[in-house]
Amino acid sequence: MKYFDRLHPAVAFVYFALMIAISMLTTNPVVIAVSYLSSIVFCGMLIGGRQLMVSLAYNLPLLILLSATNPIFVHKGETILFFLNDNPVTKEAILYGVFASMMIMSVFYWFKCYSTVMTSDKFIYLFGRIIPKLSLVLSMSIAFIPKLKRKYKEIDEAQKALGIYSGKGMVDKIRSKFRVLSILLTNSLESSIDTADSMRARGYGLKGRSSYAIYKMTASDKILCALFILVGTASIVLIVLGTVDFNFYPTLSPISLQALQIVAYAIITAFAFAPTILEVKENVLWRCLKSKI
Amino acid sequence: MKKDLFAICIVIFVLILVFTGTKIQSVEDYYLTHLDDITEDSQTVYLSIRCDTILDNWDKLDPALRQEKYVPQDGVILQRTEYVLRKGDTVYNILDRAIRHNQIQMECIYSINYASTYVEGINHLYEFSCGELSGWMFMVNGQFPQVGCDRYTLQDGDEIIWCYTCDLGRDVGCYWEMS
Repeated sequence: MKYFDRLHPAVAFVYFALMIAISMLTTNPVVIAVSYLSSIVFCGMLIGGRQLMVSLAYNLPLLILLSATNPIFVHKGETILFFLNDNPVTKEAILYGVFASMMIMSVFYWFKCYSTVMTSDKFIYLFGRIIPKLSLVLSMSIAFIPKLKRKYKEIDEAQKALGIYSGKGMVDKIRSKFRVLSILLTNSLESSIDTADSMRARGYGLKGRSSYAIYKMTASDKILCALFILVGTASIVLIVLGTVDFNFYPTLSPISLQALQIVAYAIITAFAFAPTILEVKENVLWRCLKSKI
Repeated sequence: MKKDLFAICIVIFVLILVFTGTKIQSVEDYYLTHLDDITEDSQTVYLSIRCDTILDNWDKLDPALRQEKYVPQDGVILQRTEYVLRKGDTVYNILDRAIRHNQIQMECIYSINYASTYVEGINHLYEFSCGELSGWMFMVNGQFPQVGCDRYTLQDGDEIIWCYTCDLGRDVGCYWEMS
């Protein structure tokens, strides 16, 4: 069990909410790069190096594709590299594409970490009382993609076992895959309605019902939560005040490294790498304790 | 197998279409333009590009553009220059030739809805760069033709002014109430 898993759900939720907000608030390349790196490292610690490699193998081509799309449609920027069909392809547009797609990918990885740590029972424990319907919908929708992937594999294997797949030729294979997708869609629609019906039948969200929860806010949880709120809010305030503002168009603005900027980058870097550091610290501590026995 | 061959043919056809449809030019090639020499009997028009209105609305301007090279101190991006009018030239043709000759940045899009070209930005000053009512407009002989710049065919001696507005044309003399 990972350290972040053992924390009180509220602490983990606060951290992820603040971190995702920071990643999305600014176009500053330093902040985006830090967020991207830290999200990948933390995700690797949560799901394991092998799994991370598999997901990177899918994500890096997507990153390149997204970065290549921007300069085709946006022609702003001063440094023109060449002209494509009478439209300039500029260095600024290419760099903007790279960093915008890195931002998307970092948010993607933070959500991956989020869904590994914040299982739906934790989320419903946190928000089931205040917003029963919305929290159910949210937890269902966040768990949707992993569930869909699992289900896809099941249907695919069932179709193969039934012998419906035709192995001849690319076109037929692709058509078989399309059939699997349509089955998947129908199935997921039905299963979500089933879930809702079943929850209602058991009296979810009714008044006076209690639920079993094993989470307890310990003193260290409280301290960590306060720290997260303090540092995270500080970074958001610094970003909103425009300390790390960065413009890509018409020309790249210089990255100034004055005292305030250095403080801002340091705070954001510390906040982004906090879960990784905590995880490493916990692992080291465990090793030390183990060797003593 | 037949289906496969058919699919491969379609893919190859699309790829050929994409490759023949793309034209890659170097920067020098793009800006290389031929301007006709002005002779006694050639028809000419005058063109100037100005952005004076930005100087009055400096606080609305995008902070990244608050520089001399984007907004000149006198508000003149292109001095009043005489250009030879070729047969059937529109306002867009003259602007295109002028900006290529002077190596000024320009971006425009072709709108299918209006079947005409819309100039989004000149010299890195884009629409909405200076407030939400800002953008480029063109004036021919003191009038604002209510058509796209590539649908207005020019005559000998026409005077074209491209001006940047910060107030939907009202600050450059285009009153919508009157027209």
